[in-house]
Amino acid sequence: MKAKDLRTELQPVWCTGCGDFGVLKGLTQALADLEVAPEKLAVISGIGCSSRLPGYVKAYSFNTIHGRALPIATGLKTARPELTTVVVGGDGDGFSIGLGHLPHAIRRDVNLTYVVMDNGIYGLTKGQASPTTELESKRSRGLGGSDEQPLNPVLLVLSSGCGFVARTHAGNMPHMREMFRQAIEYPGFSFVHVLAGCVTYQPRGYSDQLLQRSYELPQEYDTTDAGAAINAVRDGRFALGVIYRRPLGAAAVAAGATEDEDWTPPDAVLKQDLPTE
Amino acid sequence: METRTEVLPANAAPETPMRSLVIAIAGSGGDGVALIGDLLLKMAAHQGLYGMLVQSYGPQIRGGESAVVLRIGDREICYEGDDTDVLVCFKVSDLKRFRGSVHLHDDSLLVLEEKDEGVLPDWLGATKRPVFRHPFATFDGGVEVAGEPKNMMALALVCRALGWPESLAQQALAERFSHKPALVERNMPTFRKAFNLENVPAITKLIGHGVPLVVETGNEAVARGAMAAGLRFFAGYPITPSSEVMETLIDELPAVGGRIVQAEDEISALGMVVGASFGGVPSMTATSGPGLSLMTEMMGLSSMAEIPTVIVDCQRAGPATGMPSRTEQSDLYHAIYGGHGDFPRAVLGVFDVVHARDVMFRAFELAENYQLPVLVLSDAYVAQRRQIRDGVTDRRDKPRRWRWTPEDGPARFQLSGDHPVNAFRVPGTPGGTYMAAGIEHTEDGNPTADAGMHQKMSEKRFAKLEGIADDTRTWARTLGKADATRGIVAWGSSYGMLREWVAGNPEYRVFLPEILHPFPLEAFEEWRKGLAETTTVELSFQGQFHRYLCSLTDMTAVRSIARSGGLPMSMRELGSLLAAPAAKKEKA
Repeated sequence: MKAKDLRTELQPVWCTGCGDFGVLKGLTQALADLEVAPEKLAVISGIGCSSRLPGYVKAYSFNTIHGRALPIATGLKTARPELTTVVVGGDGDGFSIGLGHLPHAIRRDVNLTYVVMDNGIYGLTKGQASPTTELESKRSRGLGGSDEQPLNPVLLVLSSGCGFVARTHAGNMPHMREMFRQAIEYPGFSFVHVLAGCVTYQPRGYSDQLLQRSYELPQEYDTTDAGAAINAVRDGRFALGVIYRRPLGAAAVAAGATEDEDWTPPDAVLKQDLPTE
Repeated sequence: METRTEVLPANAAPETPMRSLVIAIAGSGGDGVALIGDLLLKMAAHQGLYGMLVQSYGPQIRGGESAVVLRIGDREICYEGDDTDVLVCFKVSDLKRFRGSVHLHDDSLLVLEEKDEGVLPDWLGATKRPVFRHPFATFDGGVEVAGEPKNMMALALVCRALGWPESLAQQALAERFSHKPALVERNMPTFRKAFNLENVPAITKLIGHGVPLVVETGNEAVARGAMAAGLRFFAGYPITPSSEVMETLIDELPAVGGRIVQAEDEISALGMVVGASFGGVPSMTATSGPGLSLMTEMMGLSSMAEIPTVIVDCQRAGPATGMPSRTEQSDLYHAIYGGHGDFPRAVLGVFDVVHARDVMFRAFELAENYQLPVLVLSDAYVAQRRQIRDGVTDRRDKPRRWRWTPEDGPARFQLSGDHPVNAFRVPGTPGGTYMAAGIEHTEDGNPTADAGMHQKMSEKRFAKLEGIADDTRTWARTLGKADATRGIVAWGSSYGMLREWVAGNPEYRVFLPEILHPFPLEAFEEWRKGLAETTTVELSFQGQFHRYLCSLTDMTAVRSIARSGGLPMSMRELGSLLAAPAAKKEKA
């Protein structure tokens, strides 16, 4: 199976040079690597530039409303666990209007893969500050919220107890493909933070700046160590790679989570589709 | 026009009017008043008597004063009655909260605490019978202390007055506390002591038909009706007065192979329902007004993306938080018109517990057949009541969504067909991949900003309403004699009271739509022929139902009786409002 077998005929409306092109390619590559047939695939999004992506993937896709992709995907996956369900969207969709759903989707641990293309800006509405826009950037361009600190989405998902957390860069195809593949394979809620440039509403060289602030986690990094994961995302740099992978059967590590030997991940329970006729 | 007409037994055979009794019990939090009502209703059902129970709370739902009003009789009952035949009150001062819920007549039996010197309020009315006083409370130095359970004494006294045997009470208690048999044994001595008192006055004895009946709340009936109609996925968020729909489904849906999620909010709840139904699984949520407000954008998505959803709204009183435990009929505008942009949806109304099951079946039928959101308007009065009903077995075939196969063509949202509904592409079906979207789309589901396409797609989506209107032309119920000259138009839970109103006032007949939108206008126009006067009756301050009808047909000279909710309307109130000069005539 090839990546292009999972592409529709529709041409993306993204600006030339947009990081989302890479994500589309990396995602379809990973899905092809895993031999996911179009009819067994669901791609769900909210609203935003990156939320246009489901239209370009041959799948049972759903371009829903702003911020609500996670609840819709949760309903679908709970009813139809045999479908591979990928949720895609941007930082505004996922970390602003839709943020309230994120910790709960993580808590439920429904086997979804959530890919956020974080370009630190509202692109579709022409350049307003998003929850991840840097302070300096907001000040220099006179954007709203210039005194508001940006959010650290990866720390947030880790502290909510997410079982698989990875970060990648939209300019690094082999890395992205590998992260997506591992995330989709992970039998629980998985989160991939993609550093994606915006060529129109971010300054020239923004994508390269992201890359300069990034570093790949070293070989000896223990992906099952939740404490190490939290430390890895606390400084101003972007650790790339699998930041955390909860060992199968282990309880979530999150504030308030209970260690329970009898706890079973929902994926072990929800294996079969509900009848549709 | 074949509207479903009920000619009441009282009209058809006036020689055997319904015999019934209204029992009210008022107390403070912790008196266990709700339990007495519950047990009495169970005991009535066991003997083949009908009845219903409504509970009244203060604003906080938990704690504070509480009262139950229970009516039992030898016919199906869906109105709690006007006059109280038996009132048990542990403390007269607790009564003030229940103004309007209890009213004594000449022959009422009034049971009060022996040492209570409280003065009965004037609005309560008066009985000519001597008051029966009983030492419910235990006092120590003039201060009430914990003692034997008052509710067991009250239960015993009411049973004794009704002439019901001790064994019936014991059985009801054993069923209710099947997990705590010791508790029943511990309480029976208190019961017996009161039950065996010499001087307990007797009241009318009611005789049931002997076949045990079912006790069900409106919310349970909604949940079970939905399951019978094929519901397999539910998501909801707790909210008074609808939470028991979710609670019932948590207990019962997995057993039929369904799944349930408690969502983080109502936006998510309907989102999950949309997602599961996108997956081809019949799905529903239940909420109340504030939740419906949050769901509104998602309702538009369900309609736009042509995904079937069923949304139950148990209406409560007021905007914002309002009065959560109180009833009202003021979400009608929201259900019919709520949301941005033009999108079709259907709206049904629930009469009572028996009707709820039937309505749920119809809701799923419309949603699955027409691939749009269907709202079911229940209210606190129906949702929270317990009603005794005949056992039912639904043998109807479950609604089935029209599933896509390659012969159905390449476009998901085809415009050229002679039917506005297209075959539904269930994920997993090879060759059927497409994109569903909340964005305006072409026939293939691809985004468009073309004005012409938006017009055509709107025409296609709204054509569904024409189909629904045609399918549901007879979805209305009329009460009373066809030649009656005074007409009342109402909807939803007003049914129960009006059913008895026409029985006692044969000059009236009543029209109640089962589907509110699209409205069964033809049936209504047919029904209103020959009326000398017509009145709309509803629990909405704005008169939403009346104004809605004004937008559909000529309502000149039709009077509107509309007030805000809180308490349901009684026959006494309706009588005085109908008799009053029509000050608000021709409100439009």
